[in-house]
Amino acid sequence: MNRTLEHILPKVQKPARYTGGEYNAVVKDKRTVDTRYALCFPDTYEIGMSNLGCRILYGVMNEVEGLWCERCYAPWGDMEEEMRREGLLLYGLESGDPISDFDIIGFSLGYEMAYTNVLNMLDLADLPLRSEQRTELAPLVVAGGTCAYNPEPLAPFVDFFVLGEGEEVTLEYIQLYRQAKKECWSKREFLKAVARIPGIYVPSFYQPKYREDGTLEAMEIVEGSGAAPLVTKRVMEHMDDAYFPVKTIIPSTEIVHDRVMLELFRGCIRGCRFCQAGYAYRPVRSRNPKLLAEYGKAACQDSGYQEMTLTSLSSTDYPCLLELCDELLDYCAPRDIGLSLPSLRADTFSMNLMQRLQRVRKGGLTFAPEAGTQRLRDAINKNLKEEDLLQSCRTAFSGGWNGVKLYFMLGLPTETDEDVLGIAELAKKVYQVWKESTPNRARGVRITVSTSWFVPKPHTAFQWDAQIPVEEYQRRVNLLRDALKREKSITYNWHDPETSYLEAIFSRGDRRLADVIEWAWQHGAKFDSWSEYFNYQRWMDALSACGLNGDFYAHRQRERDEVFPWSRVSVGVKESFLWRERELCYQSQTTPDCRTRCSGCGANCFLTGGLCNG
Amino acid sequence: MADRLLFSKTGRAKYISHLDLMRTFQRAFARAGIQIKHTEGFNPHPFVSIALPLSVGYSSQCEILEFELMGGASREEVPQKLTDAMPEGIVIHQCYPAQRKLKELTYLNYIMNFEYSEGRPLESETAMQELLHRDSLVVQKKSNKSKKGYTEVDLIPLIRGWNLECQSDTLTLDIVVRAQNPGLNPELLRAAFCECYPQMCPDFVTFHRREVLDENGRVFR
Repeated sequence: MNRTLEHILPKVQKPARYTGGEYNAVVKDKRTVDTRYALCFPDTYEIGMSNLGCRILYGVMNEVEGLWCERCYAPWGDMEEEMRREGLLLYGLESGDPISDFDIIGFSLGYEMAYTNVLNMLDLADLPLRSEQRTELAPLVVAGGTCAYNPEPLAPFVDFFVLGEGEEVTLEYIQLYRQAKKECWSKREFLKAVARIPGIYVPSFYQPKYREDGTLEAMEIVEGSGAAPLVTKRVMEHMDDAYFPVKTIIPSTEIVHDRVMLELFRGCIRGCRFCQAGYAYRPVRSRNPKLLAEYGKAACQDSGYQEMTLTSLSSTDYPCLLELCDELLDYCAPRDIGLSLPSLRADTFSMNLMQRLQRVRKGGLTFAPEAGTQRLRDAINKNLKEEDLLQSCRTAFSGGWNGVKLYFMLGLPTETDEDVLGIAELAKKVYQVWKESTPNRARGVRITVSTSWFVPKPHTAFQWDAQIPVEEYQRRVNLLRDALKREKSITYNWHDPETSYLEAIFSRGDRRLADVIEWAWQHGAKFDSWSEYFNYQRWMDALSACGLNGDFYAHRQRERDEVFPWSRVSVGVKESFLWRERELCYQSQTTPDCRTRCSGCGANCFLTGGLCNG
Repeated sequence: MADRLLFSKTGRAKYISHLDLMRTFQRAFARAGIQIKHTEGFNPHPFVSIALPLSVGYSSQCEILEFELMGGASREEVPQKLTDAMPEGIVIHQCYPAQRKLKELTYLNYIMNFEYSEGRPLESETAMQELLHRDSLVVQKKSNKSKKGYTEVDLIPLIRGWNLECQSDTLTLDIVVRAQNPGLNPELLRAAFCECYPQMCPDFVTFHRREVLDENGRVFR
């Protein structure tokens, strides 16, 4: 281990985050390696190590001969301070070598509030922040993940973005890079070539043109770049052929999701109108249950984990869930391995399943009705009936659970005070159900109602809609708080509006916001999703220093023909479909799920023969 | 009947904390297909216990872990199988049935390396000797029990013996100290040295646990 690092580590909190050397970490002989990749996650080790996508890419890349992928996370403040003082550059965990010497630096972007960490990590690596200042071919700075579906706020910093699922496209651009390195291409030559790979967006090949009112007139294609008019995300058509990380790094210190994660399927059949994942990950593609059971057992065996969780956007919608759970339980139960199932719908089927799984421990129950009235739930296409929710609670309470958490959003399009008060009514009904069904009233019950402030996201039916003003959000919070004031068994938590406002700015932001991010970072912003570091005023200062108005991004209602910053990016879902969904919302009309009836969103374009299997 | 492992923890594994190390062992046993006894009760989990928690950042070649082997490997096979399932830096040397009580473990032998990147001050050797030859060396030690937040402890009676070796840029203290009831964390010695001789404070000190000993100074297993 590096001597400087060894001298630093005793001074910092949780040093095991910075050492590497975990079980299954891949260490290659440098003499056999021609391409080195730093897979960076712009948050702490505990968060980044919990990301399944990164585990998949790490495995996929390290299977390739001559290619070595290492991990890199954002050091916490104490570590950063020591690194800067001692001149220790940001390094790959496996080798300890500075990532500035690597060929490719790839960031996974899951959350807008991590953008300043991207800049900070580039700086800790002693690399220029802006793509144009990095004139050599290497290191290339690449970014993917959910936030890449609107790449514009980070456009000047990133050489190219990768849209969609990365298993195949990552190897394609690395292969191209290897050729470029061997043949000594310039960076521009490489970028022109890489832009021809489907799913790759080279921001420097698109030039935003603004109108006087600040809206976009066009995202113009830079002449001579040969860039595609529309870059469509990549998907793995056949999930049974997709890599599954059976052998994966087992951390030697605790991380957030410290268990086997078994990915059942990608996409979601539901079509909730506010949900970016629901649209952006279409179409639904399932894994074979036999294969999943094998993966799950093998992953438990290799990891030694005592816990396994099934992951997807809505696990109840997995067609062979019972069959799979039974097979996994036969393996897990005798070995004291816990099996958990998040992302369940609040229906009876799920509750029966849950009781089967959680025979011993009774964890908390969490449901997300999202809206308080049936009218609004229909409008957002959250196809959950009140009777189903109450029935689920009844089953749970009579089975001995004595707590439930209910998640809602305030400020959804078409929301009225009646809908807000409906949240309180629903919570009270849940309380009534508890009184009627609990076997032990003396133990009491804890019902938690949480509300967040709705953030409209790109590529959703609400991408045209305004986030409600902060005063209005606060008024609705107060309305609900007053309605729940006298309910001793109901706790009400609401999200502070500051981060939701910034999220609303950056999720639908344009390229001009890059200056805001850089200004904020220069003035100390990092780890903005952590209350230890978040400073709202700094962001307000950054916006005004750059002459921009946050409300323009967050609170402005867009016209049907608005040119979005992400207008050169396609997730395969047609804009006309999204607009139709929006109109149905305003009529409080639902759209059936993908299995009941195909609504023609367009995402079937990814599948041979154009048929979703659902 | 309990079984014991003798293992070392060096290199990158030095920074794994005591609690994380227990979890690492529980998982490694499962990975290696070695069945060990689980705790009973509401939330059964594999039972392991590590004799004397090692501070984060210290290395050791003589750590002892207690568990109960149920199957999946013979005692002879355990060291190799388990080492293969471990993160870098943890090596299992022996697996054997426990014969002596852990409370017979009385002393620990540490190697402390005082590193001077600009060269070792010549007087540091006599300074260290002077310190260790004192009749008493009372230092303050953090304590959660005491109202003041610290207690006072005399280090000298907790030291059984020592040997000092000097090189051009290091001072190596080979020292035997009490292990428990009460034990002496060698960090206190470093702190005491730096307090008494601030001008000879080293740039860095490494701590290595070399051996566990019984009351008579013989190797404990």
